[in-house]
Amino acid sequence: MADKRKRRRPDPDSDSDSDTRPFKHLLKPDTTILSSLTTLAASTAASSSKTLTLSDLRLSAACREVSDLPPSAVQSAIESLAVSLARSILSGQGFSFTVPSRSSANQLYVPELDRIVLKDKTSIRPYSSVSTVRKTTITTRILHLIHQLCLKNIHVTKRDLFYTDVKLFQDQTQSDAVLDDVSCILGCTRSSLNVVAAEKGVVVGRLIFSDNGDMIDCTKMGMGGKAIPPNIDRVGDMKSDALFILLVEKDAAYMRLAEDRFYNRFPCIIVTAKGQPDVATRLFLRKMKMELKLPVLALVDSDPYGLKILSVYGCGSKNMSYDSANLTTPDIKWLGIRPSDLDKYKIPEQCRLPMTEQDIKTGKDLLEEDFVKKNPGWVEELNLMVKSKQKAEIQALSSFGFQYLSEVYLPLKLQQRDWL
Amino acid sequence: MSRRYFPSLDSSKYVTSVPYDVDSTRTPKVHECKRKSLYTTVRELVENALDSAESISELPVVEITIEEIGKSKFNSMIGLIDRERIDEALYDDFETVKAREKRLAKEARVQEIQAKNAALGKKVKEQVAIKAIKGRGEASFYRVTCKDNGKGMPHDDIPNMFGRVLSGTKYGLKQTRGKFGLGAKMALIWSKMSTGLPIEISSSMKGQNYVSFCRLDIDIHRNIPHIHLHEKRDNKERWNGAEIQVVIEGNWTTYRSKILHYMRQMAVITPYAQFLFSFVSDTSDKNVSIKFARRTDIMPPVPLETKYHPSAVDLLLIKRLIAETSKQNLLQFLQHEFVNIGKAYAERLIGEMGPDFSPKMLVKSLTSQQLVRIHQLFRQAKFDDPSGDCLSPAGEYNLRLGIIKELHPDMVATYSGSAQVFEGHPFIVEAGVSVGGKDVKQGLNIFRFANRIPLLFEQGADVVTRTALKRIKLTALRLQTSIQQCCIQLKSKIVKKIQAREQQERKRNLSKYIPDATNAIYEVLKEMTHLHASKKRRYEDKDAELLSKVSARLITKDTLREKLAQHVEQVDYEMALEYATQSGVKEEPRENIYLQLLEAEKDFIDFHGPVFVFRLFR
Repeated sequence: MADKRKRRRPDPDSDSDSDTRPFKHLLKPDTTILSSLTTLAASTAASSSKTLTLSDLRLSAACREVSDLPPSAVQSAIESLAVSLARSILSGQGFSFTVPSRSSANQLYVPELDRIVLKDKTSIRPYSSVSTVRKTTITTRILHLIHQLCLKNIHVTKRDLFYTDVKLFQDQTQSDAVLDDVSCILGCTRSSLNVVAAEKGVVVGRLIFSDNGDMIDCTKMGMGGKAIPPNIDRVGDMKSDALFILLVEKDAAYMRLAEDRFYNRFPCIIVTAKGQPDVATRLFLRKMKMELKLPVLALVDSDPYGLKILSVYGCGSKNMSYDSANLTTPDIKWLGIRPSDLDKYKIPEQCRLPMTEQDIKTGKDLLEEDFVKKNPGWVEELNLMVKSKQKAEIQALSSFGFQYLSEVYLPLKLQQRDWL
Repeated sequence: MSRRYFPSLDSSKYVTSVPYDVDSTRTPKVHECKRKSLYTTVRELVENALDSAESISELPVVEITIEEIGKSKFNSMIGLIDRERIDEALYDDFETVKAREKRLAKEARVQEIQAKNAALGKKVKEQVAIKAIKGRGEASFYRVTCKDNGKGMPHDDIPNMFGRVLSGTKYGLKQTRGKFGLGAKMALIWSKMSTGLPIEISSSMKGQNYVSFCRLDIDIHRNIPHIHLHEKRDNKERWNGAEIQVVIEGNWTTYRSKILHYMRQMAVITPYAQFLFSFVSDTSDKNVSIKFARRTDIMPPVPLETKYHPSAVDLLLIKRLIAETSKQNLLQFLQHEFVNIGKAYAERLIGEMGPDFSPKMLVKSLTSQQLVRIHQLFRQAKFDDPSGDCLSPAGEYNLRLGIIKELHPDMVATYSGSAQVFEGHPFIVEAGVSVGGKDVKQGLNIFRFANRIPLLFEQGADVVTRTALKRIKLTALRLQTSIQQCCIQLKSKIVKKIQAREQQERKRNLSKYIPDATNAIYEVLKEMTHLHASKKRRYEDKDAELLSKVSARLITKDTLREKLAQHVEQVDYEMALEYATQSGVKEEPRENIYLQLLEAEKDFIDFHGPVFVFRLFR
């Protein structure tokens, strides 16, 4: 990877006279910035102690969590369920499922864990009720399909699953929702069901890992980077000389950084899920963080939605809180673009957007969320956003030139250790 | 029939200050008016007819006929000889050679396509004959006749009632629909302007043994009636009421649906009236004849007559009131001719008017400037709102009945608001919302009425709309809440219906999924037996026993299916019982049957039961 140095742009200090971009003059030589990053990486590696689990907090009884199970275990879980269902039918009782409720009333934010977990409330889903008969039938059908997958030990996508019985499922949201229910019922992660979502996230930078036995060097994946494999269990042997992981909300910013080979100037791994993160990207990020013990810095839009995406990476989504232990990455730092940056970097008025009523409402709702409250810096920034009623996308920085993001903004941010 | 000033809420009906000023029709609005004149005329006549019948507490029977008059017939009516066109190219609708070629080619093409389709055996809708090109010169004239069973008019008053704008013998304020005098006169003036033909009126009052017949037109500039014929005729049928016939220029094709819509709305809000509407023309396929039958004989009470509210009068009205008052001095005049002005308040008002005024001054001696001052003060001063007591809304009963009668909807909800006031005019908004029905569009049908006049929202549609916009805003606000109320009612009805339907479909729904569910479970069991047989997996004894039954085909797909079906059956039975105990037996709404009273025949026997009277007609 070191031979990539020749692709580096000329040292910023050598052409500083001709460069008039704002704040460019503040930049110190890259070596200074690199050394500050090294200390960050070192402190992260040192501090990452054993992560807490629910049982550590004596919450395992009150909360529900799933674990990775091998296909054979999933298979036998389904089989014993099927036998009990058959018994219930034969005895003339009909049948029903006991499904853990995934409604927001059944969610709990645990500050010690810094993630959302599912409480133990369950609902009965009987076959012989008009309101649940459809869902119950879909659940049995999905169970049957999963059983087959486990027998043959193959993976299919959610779309594949939906197409096995379009007439019954009617639309994919229904089969997807039941799939999550099945995970909860069986107490396994969705990945253990051998059902994956289509590839969405991409990774580029100083990372080498094996995908199903093939070694992948993410510096040699071209501009687009390597698509994050949908099933995490075929990923292994992660190696990296990066100093940090840069999480990017948007494809556009990701492309800019990949094309400018930002990871060569400052050794890093750049990841994006192109908007709301999917399960695979979240699993992948967590795996990187746990195995490589690198700090994670996030670059998201300065709007409530950006912060929401950050929270999904950090604390998990409510929809999949049953598996938050595997899906969340602790200790993500909010690098930018933060509401305070709008003025600090003098982003011109025409690049800022007024927040809509909906945006402001979302912002205020976020202020009530525990995962925001735990970080006073975030609260301050969010308050500023709601007060100024202005938002800006990462692209707003392009008003100073397309490469301003990679050549001035990010280096300066890193130099100033300006993350929350 | 007395001449009255009627507050009404509809945009087209709001009269502000000016009496019908003929010259104002020469503004650009005149074209709009002309086109709408047919619709407006129908409205005025129908509403007057209803008012007239209601004023004597008679169940209204209104017959309205529109007769299309062709150009040549019209010419002969006005004594003009039909002239053949000599120089064809002079006319606007002349078809040039080129245009004709184009048209013929097009027709040929259409025919070709039709022939092709016919050859292919396709069934094509009969092509509508290409419409004859209608030129501007071809005006449409209509004879509008409206006959009612109302009060009629005194013989000697008829010429002045129709032929003079704003002349009054009596005044008072009452909630009515029309503003008789203006409405019919407007039609008269239109007929005068567009056709030049006089208006014909037949009228008879109750107990009169003759029918007054009058043919007249109006001398617009001198504002006096011009009587052609005024005579008494035999009243053989002992009919009372009025029949007005007017010939106007108008447009039926464009306003057809609007007029019919209006008639239907009227039928909804006045289910105690009977309407006969017919359109007659030379081409018989265009003819329309609709009877809106009476459904009830319960009429809303006759509205009380009240005095004017000071905020609602204008300068001309003050002049008229002064001319007609029997009171001598200003104080008495203010005190007795208006509502909400007591003696003390009248004195305060006079004091406020200025030094030129005194309570004892003769009211007839007031100068024009002084009148303007009074008017200004009326506008600015604060008065209590008039009470809504003088209003007579149709009531939710009638509204509901009307909607059911006309639309046969699946569901209906109605709402009657409380009285509101706008600029001294009290009004009540009534609204109805219905779902489904016979010959109506899908979805919701909304009916809105203010003081029993359909609100069709045709802003700026008439000559007299100056302040109407402001009004509409206010009524719109009231309407919103009314319609919201209706929708809330509907919602609960819909929920009930859905429950009832779910009840019916429960078993079907539950049974529908039996194969899917049992198949899935059975498939898993079967896989398990394979694994068990090949000893790939071990199962507990209890499970193994079940699996061996499966492999021995003691338990099959069908066993599971039957068992589940039995369970569904049982559950369905239990739920039906539960539903029945909860909702009672009579969930289907029963519709009332209205038995129309047979006239005159009193040949019946009453059977009196404790809760009913059964009347047997012989």
